[in-house]
Amino acid sequence: MNDQARTLKYLVSVEKLAEEILCDKQEIVMLDKRRNHNREALRALTKSSQCKCWVTIGSVIIKHDIVATKFLLEADQRQLNIDINKLRSDLRIKVNNLRDLEMQPPVPGLMLVPMSSLESDGLAKAGLFK
Amino acid sequence: MASIAAAQVQEVRSITRIERIGAHSHIRGLGLDDSLEPRAVSQGMVGQKMARKAAGVVLQMIREGKIAGRAVLLAGQPGTGKTAIAMGLAQALGPDTPFTSMAGSEIYSLEMSKTEALTQAIRKSIGIRIKEESEIIEGEVVEVVIERAAGTGGARVGRLTLKTTDMETNYDMGTKMIDSLLKEKVQAGDVITIDKATGKINKLGRSFARARDYDATGQQARFVQCPEGELQKRKEVVHTVTLHEVDVINSRTHGFLALFSGDTGEIKSEIREQINSKVAEWREEGKAEMIPGVLFVDEAHMLDIECFSFLNRALESETAPIVIMATNRGITRIRGTNYKSPHGIPLDLLDRMIIVPTSPYSHQELKEILNIRCEEEDCQMSADALTVLTRVATETSLRYAIQLITTASLVAKRRKASEVSMEDVKKVYSLFLDEHRSEQFLKEYQDEFMFDDGAGDAPQLMEVTQ
Repeated sequence: MNDQARTLKYLVSVEKLAEEILCDKQEIVMLDKRRNHNREALRALTKSSQCKCWVTIGSVIIKHDIVATKFLLEADQRQLNIDINKLRSDLRIKVNNLRDLEMQPPVPGLMLVPMSSLESDGLAKAGLFK
Repeated sequence: MASIAAAQVQEVRSITRIERIGAHSHIRGLGLDDSLEPRAVSQGMVGQKMARKAAGVVLQMIREGKIAGRAVLLAGQPGTGKTAIAMGLAQALGPDTPFTSMAGSEIYSLEMSKTEALTQAIRKSIGIRIKEESEIIEGEVVEVVIERAAGTGGARVGRLTLKTTDMETNYDMGTKMIDSLLKEKVQAGDVITIDKATGKINKLGRSFARARDYDATGQQARFVQCPEGELQKRKEVVHTVTLHEVDVINSRTHGFLALFSGDTGEIKSEIREQINSKVAEWREEGKAEMIPGVLFVDEAHMLDIECFSFLNRALESETAPIVIMATNRGITRIRGTNYKSPHGIPLDLLDRMIIVPTSPYSHQELKEILNIRCEEEDCQMSADALTVLTRVATETSLRYAIQLITTASLVAKRRKASEVSMEDVKKVYSLFLDEHRSEQFLKEYQDEFMFDDGAGDAPQLMEVTQ
């Protein structure tokens, strides 16, 4: 009986973590979608010659000043970038924890700090990155 | 038409058949279970349970990174599976851990000094793991529109629509991007990646959804799934390189081409020091991980006293691989001196080693090995032929019996039999001499050979070659 309870607890913890990872991945996709929409909007605003534009907020459409709208969108983009990067780095830790729970060895090199672009450029030119 | 196609298929088959079979190609691991207990016959390994168990413990220590800078000696009579155990260890470590295999006599070369050859071998056995990261945009091209503004030399404008299974978006492109898109001949239905930092475009293939667009496609057309998830992805690639590879690239006189031409010559010690400090810096910043690998020196008694003292020193460095040596000598002269020592290895180095003995195979084990080799060499052997062969292996040597497998199967093939029979084995046994019968033959006819001094003793001959 005790054993059964422990197994159940273990399975719950694994499933919970796995579910979280899937949720995070979905979240990244949603955020990237919004990021791309924002980028398209920003692009359209720069090209437009008017001084006001329509903005939808929920189900309401508002006529708003173009410069202010751009400012809002840019702030949103910055926040989105931060959120996505945060989710990605958290995801790494979560994946490691899940593998730990499932008694699998950690992914080699998962927690490494990446090479700077200059360094990886040099290494790639030298033929070290196959 | 059909016959031509059949002939082509035949040709392809015959090419794949000419894979060469090595002496240890049947070994795929150490044959241990999860608790490091050796299975009787597994992964091509037979018997030798104590040695395999010991190798399993070593394997575990290597995996946990606990054994760096130590040495293991596999000692045993010829043909007792020392090299097989080392190969099994290499297989069990997996492709990510560097494994260098060399024979003791390989270090004697006119082009580089002994210590240089050893240093290179040591540095080939130490890997570093580094990570490359890039932001890429990956998606299937829905549409590419490129318009030229009115008038000659007018700026071009382009729009690219990309999609994944989850989203779709538009990109406005500048002249540079348009050029590289045109250069790569990107069209709707291609799956591409764009490196965000460099703007480099890479064509991965065509989307499966577009597989039926044309009746005829070029041979190179590769079909891939439409990418999933977000468009802007972070791509992380972990590379494992050995210190030797980094050395070669940085030794300026040769450049990186030396990696492929094989001839690297000597590498200056300043370069090695520079690289060591760079790697230490990377490790401090968390950019690199060391992977101490394995250096396997077969026929270790061929090393001389200078090499042994060099190894003694090299093992103390903090970035030393695990050195595994194998030898089949008993108490013998240390090469380069007049002193005798167990295994031909000086006592101070022996003291640092874990010694794993291998013992001669039993009758049953020999039979198992011969059976495995028959399978490996794709040769059907009848039960009584195998029994005869096992007897041959017990009375002469295992290597000789393994030689007989292929030769006997060729004889059987010539008389168009599907199975090797006892007669075939007997025939090749009479055709090819083993060392004992060869020695006997020499003794019998020694007067008729040239330059004979009448002694004709095997041990004396050995002394001369040393």
